[in-house]
Amino acid sequence: MRILKGKFSILASIRMAVFIILSMAVIAAVGTITEARFDAEVAQKLVYQSIYMYIVMGLLCVNLIAVMVDRWPWKQHHMGFVLAHIGIITLLFGAWLTQHYGVDGTLAFETGQKRNTVSIKDREILVYSSMDGNNFTGLYQGNDDFLRHPPSEKDPFIIHIGKDDLRIFQYEHFAFRESEISPTDKPWDGAAVRFQLENPNVNMTQWLRREGRFRQAEIDLGPAKVILTSSLPPPSGRNEVVLVETPGHEELDYVIYNKDNSIRKKGQVRQSETVETGWMGMKFRLLRYLPHAMEKVTYVPSPTASPISISAFRFTFQGGEYWLGLDSVVRVFTDSAVYLISYGHRRLELAFPLTLKQFKVGMYQGTDRASSYESLVEVPGRGDVTISMNEPLKHDGYTFYQSSFEKNERGEPVASILSVNKDPGRWIKYIGSMLIVLGSIVLFYFKRVKWVKTPGSKT
Amino acid sequence: MKLMRWLSLLLLGLSLTAQAHVGEPLEMLPMQDGGRIKPFDTFARETLQLVHGKQTFDGKPASEIVFTWLLVPDHWMTAPLIELRHAGLKEALKITSQERYFSAQSLFTNERIPLLVQELNTLHERQEKLNPYFQAVQRLENQLALFQAITKGVALRFVPDPNGDRWKAVSELDGDLRDAFVKMSKGFAESIGDAKNPSDAEPSAEFQQSVKDFMAMARAQAPDKYADMKRIEWEEHLNHFHPFKWAWIVYLTGLVFLFLGTTVKQKWAMPIFWAFLFGGFALHGYGMGLRIYLAGRPPVSNMYETVVWVPWCSVLLGLILERVQKSKLLLVCSATVAVFCLILTDLAPTVLDSSIQPLEPVLRSTFWLSTHVLIITLSYAAFFLAFALGDVILFYYLKDEQRFAHQIMVGVHSIYRAIQVGIVLLAFGIILGGIWADYSWGRFWGWDPKETWALISLLCYVAVLHGRLVGWVKNFQLAAAAVVGFSMVVMSWYGVNFVLGAGLHTYGFGAGGVEYVIGFVALHLLYVAYVSTVRYGRVNSATKR
Repeated sequence: MRILKGKFSILASIRMAVFIILSMAVIAAVGTITEARFDAEVAQKLVYQSIYMYIVMGLLCVNLIAVMVDRWPWKQHHMGFVLAHIGIITLLFGAWLTQHYGVDGTLAFETGQKRNTVSIKDREILVYSSMDGNNFTGLYQGNDDFLRHPPSEKDPFIIHIGKDDLRIFQYEHFAFRESEISPTDKPWDGAAVRFQLENPNVNMTQWLRREGRFRQAEIDLGPAKVILTSSLPPPSGRNEVVLVETPGHEELDYVIYNKDNSIRKKGQVRQSETVETGWMGMKFRLLRYLPHAMEKVTYVPSPTASPISISAFRFTFQGGEYWLGLDSVVRVFTDSAVYLISYGHRRLELAFPLTLKQFKVGMYQGTDRASSYESLVEVPGRGDVTISMNEPLKHDGYTFYQSSFEKNERGEPVASILSVNKDPGRWIKYIGSMLIVLGSIVLFYFKRVKWVKTPGSKT
Repeated sequence: MKLMRWLSLLLLGLSLTAQAHVGEPLEMLPMQDGGRIKPFDTFARETLQLVHGKQTFDGKPASEIVFTWLLVPDHWMTAPLIELRHAGLKEALKITSQERYFSAQSLFTNERIPLLVQELNTLHERQEKLNPYFQAVQRLENQLALFQAITKGVALRFVPDPNGDRWKAVSELDGDLRDAFVKMSKGFAESIGDAKNPSDAEPSAEFQQSVKDFMAMARAQAPDKYADMKRIEWEEHLNHFHPFKWAWIVYLTGLVFLFLGTTVKQKWAMPIFWAFLFGGFALHGYGMGLRIYLAGRPPVSNMYETVVWVPWCSVLLGLILERVQKSKLLLVCSATVAVFCLILTDLAPTVLDSSIQPLEPVLRSTFWLSTHVLIITLSYAAFFLAFALGDVILFYYLKDEQRFAHQIMVGVHSIYRAIQVGIVLLAFGIILGGIWADYSWGRFWGWDPKETWALISLLCYVAVLHGRLVGWVKNFQLAAAAVVGFSMVVMSWYGVNFVLGAGLHTYGFGAGGVEYVIGFVALHLLYVAYVSTVRYGRVNSATKR
């Protein structure tokens, strides 16, 4: 014991403890300021999970253990301090378990949808290739850590794909998406139209572009839907303008569907011609028609976070240069193959699906302020279960919480977002917490006794 | 006997404030607004507070003023009613006048306002935080919209709809209900018009009857949805009684008697001090009890409620610790904390909004709200008490360390005790918050700014107590630490919501008062620095000798 005491004297000192406690306070304060300036993710990765924080936490554990060893053999008045210190170590251990073995993700679904995929915070880059445009094979799958180690021109992040390298050389954590459509002469690029829908109340101008030659493109503008395709699809119970391409022709065939699935009008339209749709005096004007077009997406860096900013990186591949934003896909066409590069949140498959049967928002009387959110969910083997704020669902080791919801343009809730969680450290953290509270009460109780015997030192 | 005389004087004072006026019968009229049913008086006060910046206009009560917006909108269009203070906004509106109040007409015709509102909406769409300038634009928009909604009758919902949740507005009334409402309005107008001197006007019997008739008809529309009149009466009582104002006046009077009793050594003053202290405490608690009853939740869901609740806990804690420590200083400090906080709620009604607002869905769990938040705020109360004690002890150090050695000794013990209580409560409260978050969001700890700052406060106080173990923190340093440490509490209590404005505790976000709070904290830090320097000089010269 003597030797230990000597060895531990610095590590076990209270001076060390004060230094550690204050360092933690300073790092935490920096973290909150970082969060206010940027966002929670930046604060997490760059401050709370930084090497400095881990060093301080490590020192804290060493200090706590050393000081307990140092006081051995423990006497009765050590009880509070030992309990509190063991509590802190237990809590930190529980937190470590959660961080390494826990799952923290979200599950979003619309009413009627069945889902078992949970999207988690980690991001990943996926690369696929295809010879025929239908069957894709995975070439690469990897997580990025661009926030901590952003790639640069000098130090790019390289993904080897066959003989060609995919070279990521710029990363922006906060950026705004901008896109531009331009004509090309490559036969595999899909067509694009720019059109205007106009009546005395509405005036919308939009681009609509087909991804490749085989995909239909459509856009829902609320009062009407516009579709660009090569073969006429059946009506879908909406007001629709369908534009049908014929290869080699400059004019497009158009069909206008009514809500009751009847055909209102048919004909041909050329660039800069106008068609009267007959709904609420609305005119459809074809401003441009590009038989082959590409969309050039760029991201403009933003100095701070905003709800519409998104992360994006820039890379070169097969001689081209591209931007790729979070939760999106870039298709790279070459003479022999199609490559698909996606950047998104990692997905996790649950062993069972959940079906959203209904999502309800309760309102405070006479207002549009929400008082409650509730998802009615079908769980295999358990029937229908209601998940609401403060009332989660526990199933198969996972817990599902009502987290938020999505609205359509009319403000009606259309999708429910659950947060999905698995926490192996939960009970360890709870035990640790209990010990801390118990320990500090006991500790201060004994302090009181001591104080009466020996009043505080005089200054 | 003296005590009795004081109490009767006090009661006389209370009764004098309740004078009859023309609008009185209207005040109890239940209406639906802001997600709950409230008396018209509450609505009128909240409205006038927003539009005019205070609860009276020309000394006349809010209920009368706001009701006449509906009756004679043209008159009010040109009256200097709308408060506009933000200098930058005035400049943007090309208003050169130094006035504080403007007519609605002059603002409705201002060409720049639609542009500013458009800019504001763009910010809302992008979900960006509003800076003080746009907060002022937002307020102006709310003021004008509410004024207009009242003049058109659409904001005044007095009649429940049997077929829906939303009550019917005055503009939607028809048939008998409409006639009854017109009759009531006429009665009100005539009561004002009949009096020779408007300030002497009293509600006529006819008018009073017409209000009762209208209420009976409104209730008959959907009796189960109509207001519980008992609640309305209690809310009316809370509006008129101002328990928190009386509480601080009574506390303050008590402190005067304590001064007489201890410093001037007048023995008779002590019982009176105790009576006033308990009187203030009771009034303070009574007001909170009313709010708890009316809002149906613990009094800790916004800044105003905590600024009222925390000092009450400080007084409670002061009373308990006084039993143990036998130091009147504890009572002085806790009562001062209470007076300070309650005056603050009177002085800054726009920052500390006293209206009872609906709760965010996530907070609608009375159990967690009352355990986690109540315990955290209790710890704030303990640290607040330690802070006030620290202020006084530092003053003793500044005056004469030797002469006040006993007071310093006792005071430092009290600080130590208060900090201990605070640490246990704060640690417990943070952990409970973690358990709540784990239970309803699925995470125990997420480095959310509110919880992080609570942790920072805890760490700082824990560091102080550990520092005391190794002799770094002696009596003087402990007093100084109690004052400095409270800055951390101010940051987690006020700063996170009003300065940082980030994180999940978004329901508490507010604006205003930042410069005053920073001033308050800075002043205390300067005070600590000054006293430390002076004392350091003294100790140094003493050791040299």
